[in-house]
Amino acid sequence: MKSTMPIIETASPILLRKPIYQGSSARPHTRHLFAILAALLAFSGCDRKTETAGGTKNQLTIALLPKSKGNQFFLTVEKGARQAADEIGAKLLFDGPTDNDPAKQNEIIENWISLGVDAIAAASQNKGGISLPLKKARAKGVTVVTYDSDANDEARSFFINQATPKSIGETLMDSAAKLCGEEGEFAIITGTLTAGNLNTWRGFIEARLAEKYPRMKLVATKPCDDDKGKAQQEAANLISAYPSLKCIMAITSPAVPGAAEAVKQAGKAGMVKVLGLGLPSENRAYVKEGVTQAVILWNLCDLGYLTVKAAAAVKNGTLKPGATTFDAGRLGNLKVEGDNILLGAPIIFTSENIDQYQF
Amino acid sequence: MNDKNCPPNSRQRVAGVLRRMLSRQESVVFVVLIFEILLFSAIGRNFLAPDNVRNIVRHSVEIGLLALVMTPIILTGGIDLSVGSMMGLCAVAFGMLWGEAHFAPWLAACAAVAIGTAGGAINAGLITRLGLPPLIVTLGTFSLFRGLAEALTGGSKSFTDFPDSFLSLGNSLAFGVPVQAWVLVVVSLFVWGLVHRTTAGRAFRAIGFAPEGARYAGIPVGKRIAFAYTLAGAVAGLAAVIFVSRVGEARANAGTGYELAAITAVVLGGTSIFGGTGSVYGTLLGVASVAVLSNGLSRILSISDISRELSGMLTGALLLVALAGGALTKALAERPHRSKPADPVNSESAGRKEK
Repeated sequence: MKSTMPIIETASPILLRKPIYQGSSARPHTRHLFAILAALLAFSGCDRKTETAGGTKNQLTIALLPKSKGNQFFLTVEKGARQAADEIGAKLLFDGPTDNDPAKQNEIIENWISLGVDAIAAASQNKGGISLPLKKARAKGVTVVTYDSDANDEARSFFINQATPKSIGETLMDSAAKLCGEEGEFAIITGTLTAGNLNTWRGFIEARLAEKYPRMKLVATKPCDDDKGKAQQEAANLISAYPSLKCIMAITSPAVPGAAEAVKQAGKAGMVKVLGLGLPSENRAYVKEGVTQAVILWNLCDLGYLTVKAAAAVKNGTLKPGATTFDAGRLGNLKVEGDNILLGAPIIFTSENIDQYQF
Repeated sequence: MNDKNCPPNSRQRVAGVLRRMLSRQESVVFVVLIFEILLFSAIGRNFLAPDNVRNIVRHSVEIGLLALVMTPIILTGGIDLSVGSMMGLCAVAFGMLWGEAHFAPWLAACAAVAIGTAGGAINAGLITRLGLPPLIVTLGTFSLFRGLAEALTGGSKSFTDFPDSFLSLGNSLAFGVPVQAWVLVVVSLFVWGLVHRTTAGRAFRAIGFAPEGARYAGIPVGKRIAFAYTLAGAVAGLAAVIFVSRVGEARANAGTGYELAAITAVVLGGTSIFGGTGSVYGTLLGVASVAVLSNGLSRILSISDISRELSGMLTGALLLVALAGGALTKALAERPHRSKPADPVNSESAGRKEK
């Protein structure tokens, strides 16, 4: 075999005169390596036409990104989203990180961009971080909307808001005050400290607290990474650290059953009230047992339905910036405030009405 | 046949070359990589589109860097389980220095690499001075570094909103190629030179084959091993900075699982886990195979929703199949050729006779 590798003259004692190969005398096929590298670099450097991901002609492909794939909240949103996709004849892609990792959200979005989807609807785990790939998507002509948890303004056309943050915050605070008799200590369990929606709601909760309930005190705010197990642990810690705690407010859906379980295991059902933003299905048992007093949410199927309808409408040009209403199919005419599309008012589920809702 | 008086004819020379080629794990992985590329360009959507190739490169740079510096370590017969956690710690340090101490991004990046180097030095010190097994030491630092990162951020804080100039490191192009790809090229050349063109590289292999023998041969075993682990720490810091720039967020969970992905790539590429044999070329092939596999699966529209779960499964299967295939072809290639057993002296000279 011809020697094409240069022999390095020793400038310093540590360099070898001649390369040493272990085992057989075959040399590494560095030529192949350079060929592959060069090919990859060349491909990434040149511009070629990309196909879009549309199945049949004119079929839209809409990609839905949850905060995490195993979260029942988002699985319910997906159901509504699929209804809307079937209605308008679009293809729906649904993928998200299995754990709570914003970096994976970014990777999934980047994969979708190169797959050639028409629209992306994202619930962001990290407001700043997710705006990077979303902006890239917009630059490539992909329609971007956000739902549940917003990204930066320039990264999306519209934000599908389930209810105004103000009404969410106020409903939560008012319900907690009612349960505690408008006095006493309470604590909040949130998801992560970076999710935009949770931080906004906390701001309104605290504003309402200061405005209307001077005899109540917020003693702690703990994140649980949107994980039920961690929420249970945080709740247990709160119960033992604050013996006179009257209420735990869990503002992310995995935390509501987690907190309820902690209260139940500590034997404090009814003494420490539990309420939060959760799904009827995940909390039904606790509500019936009286561990959880109130669960507040909105119709998640409708949220998914609205998200897909809005994304398709923006892509088709029927929903333009500056619109004040949006015709959302079976949901009727919905209000559009600026770039927020509002689903409606929150619903409070208690032991009386929780059986009416099956999600 | 292979006899000093009868030089092999051209057919035997080709057969000899083929046999030597096939007996190498690198060739098996090379074939696998080509197969993957052909498969996904046929059945995947937009697989060869420049956008997608850039994504493949971008998403694999951090693991590629870790796999490159894992190679000298595994060549010495050791292992470093802490590089992923080191990434997390350096990412958090970077975030804190930039976000709370208001360092300029490049200065915070240098500090992050310095912290990585210090972490690598801790590993190196414990392994060489106290003679503790690398697996145990790095298992300990795996928990230590990650725990430290989580303690510093209270398990939940993260730093974001970096300036665009910093984010361009992870997200923009230089000469049509993702910026971090050039970093990978530079580090690849450095590690390749280190492993295949210096006496230090030869020392790594000697230490992997027989540490005591290496010591008696006059190789400064402690110094070489220490260098390998310290280098790994430094490059983990670099990978952390690139990761933060790519995702726009500095968090304690950066690099979770990356150490295992790096080890998979290195072993897939033909480096023996016991040390002594291996090549940087093989490691790069290993990284490429795994990256192409996981991206290619996401290009298949019908399974794109579960592509990441599938890719985890298939990467494991790929590793097992490639290792089994490599062992099989090696056994076949080393079978005695016809009547005469393989003669190492003569077959070498037969190979070298070609011009």
